Amino acid sequence: MIGAIIGGVASIAGGLFGSSAAKKRARAAAKEAKRLQNKLNNLEENRQDIVNPFQDMSAMISNPFANLSVATGAAEMKIEEADISLANTLDTIRSTGASAGGATALAQAALRSKKGVAASIEMQEKQNEDKRAAGEKQKQDALMQEGQRVQQGEAWEFAQREQRQMQELDRTAAMLGASRQAQAQAQSDQTGAMTGMFGSLAGIGGALLANGK
Amino acid sequence: MENKNLFQNLYLKQFNESNAIAYNERFVSGSSDYNFQLLDNAYRDVGRIYAKLKIAIETNNCMSEDCALELTGIKNLEESPQASLDFLSSLIAELGVTEESSFDLNNNYKYTAANSLMNGRPGFSKTDGYQAYLDLLPDGSQQIVFLGPAFETPLVINSAALNALLESDTSLVVSTPDINKDMLRLLTEVGLFAQDMIGENQELTATAKITEEYVMMNTDGSFDYEIIDLGNGKGRNVLKYDLEKIEKKVTPFINAEVAGLMSSEQDVIAAWNVYISKDTSVEEDAQMAQNANAGDTSWIYELDLPLQQDKKVLFEIKYKEYFMNNYLKQFTTNQLPTVKEDAAVFDLAEAKKAKAQKFLDDNDLN
Repeated sequence: MIGAIIGGVASIAGGLFGSSAAKKRARAAAKEAKRLQNKLNNLEENRQDIVNPFQDMSAMISNPFANLSVATGAAEMKIEEADISLANTLDTIRSTGASAGGATALAQAALRSKKGVAASIEMQEKQNEDKRAAGEKQKQDALMQEGQRVQQGEAWEFAQREQRQMQELDRTAAMLGASRQAQAQAQSDQTGAMTGMFGSLAGIGGALLANGK
Repeated sequence: MENKNLFQNLYLKQFNESNAIAYNERFVSGSSDYNFQLLDNAYRDVGRIYAKLKIAIETNNCMSEDCALELTGIKNLEESPQASLDFLSSLIAELGVTEESSFDLNNNYKYTAANSLMNGRPGFSKTDGYQAYLDLLPDGSQQIVFLGPAFETPLVINSAALNALLESDTSLVVSTPDINKDMLRLLTEVGLFAQDMIGENQELTATAKITEEYVMMNTDGSFDYEIIDLGNGKGRNVLKYDLEKIEKKVTPFINAEVAGLMSSEQDVIAAWNVYISKDTSVEEDAQMAQNANAGDTSWIYELDLPLQQDKKVLFEIKYKEYFMNNYLKQFTTNQLPTVKEDAAVFDLAEAKKAKAQKFLDDNDLN
């Protein structure tokens, strides 16, 4: 039946259908390779970012004691109180006609009080300086640790990316390789089918030439 | 608007598959002539033409300067048998798509009729009013012409045009992508299943389950079950899944799958018309195809190519829905607990009582 439709000798019809099936397989394999390539391109373009759990957080490290202030409010109040107390006492001494020696003693007491306040401020400043230095050391230690952690993270991120890329490349190569192999096989089948038809073709060509002479 | 291709293709498909012709007395009582003899007819006068050209060249009686036209004519004729075979085999491969089970009925119905003729199907003989010619054209290309009752107007296909289409990875008749195969493979690629759940055939095993990473847990690390009513006062636990997390995980893979399909927009339309548009499957009876398949929401090859962006977006959305509803859902519903003691059937009333008591205990309400 097929021979009657196509015409020529019988082997042509058989060869044609064999060749068309091979062509169809070759086209399907080529199409599949194209689809896979597009899919993999999309996966590569849109893959999720690798989140580095070791990301640099050194900007968050600071010395909490860097800017400690001295609590001078209380000291100033204490000085003020001493001055008021001195003034009041002097007024009393004057109104009661007490001796000048009492006034001198009072003035010395006031001076002592002020010296005590100054010493307290100095002590606070010293303590703050110590804290600042300790805080700075802690900060440097933390920065050092963070630096090491960040280096670890970079190595991890590199390894992850490398692993992921290798997986995708391997997969791409495997799938595309398979598709192209299928395509090549189908093309080879097609050539085989065509070769089978050449005998028949020679028939047509021979007749053509024979008529031509 | 009436979709002529859909109706005609459906008719031809049913006609070819129904065996109705066996009950046609006129057909049974007469003989049918399938003697189209495409090659014999095409090459009948070729010998004479070839001889004339050859003689003209050899006797220096050419019509054209330096015998250019005659030499070209000789070359075309010498190459034509091979070209005929190439053309016919490509054509048969293309028309063969109309026989695929998932063939999109929105393709041009004339190709279905041409395939029936090329395969000598009952009802498509010369006796039934059909005819086919292969013509060798002066420019070296060839054309095949199909005529007959199913064609209304002749179907003409030129070899150069067909070659150009095939070279540019375009099909005359589009083969619908195997969505079922693609989605079964996609299931193994979306990262929800452990490697040991994938069989040698690269599909999920019968016992495959989504990994526990996507199962809802209580704060104490135990599974957060949903209780289903089995009837007769009995119930059982089933796993609850973090659907939001699952969707987030699978979306990039689905998008990549769609991007792959978009490498051929013809394929996208075929997949849309046959499967995606109305959630249909290829197993549905052909009789239902008219209503069940895309039908009036079909995308038309002649009108909708190249695909507009809104259609691409719509396809991506519906493709995802199709995958989630028809392939992934079975793994997120009615999944029994992996902990043996939690998997047993229990008394619903007792379970409710125990749950209420646990609530009272947890909230210090006793």
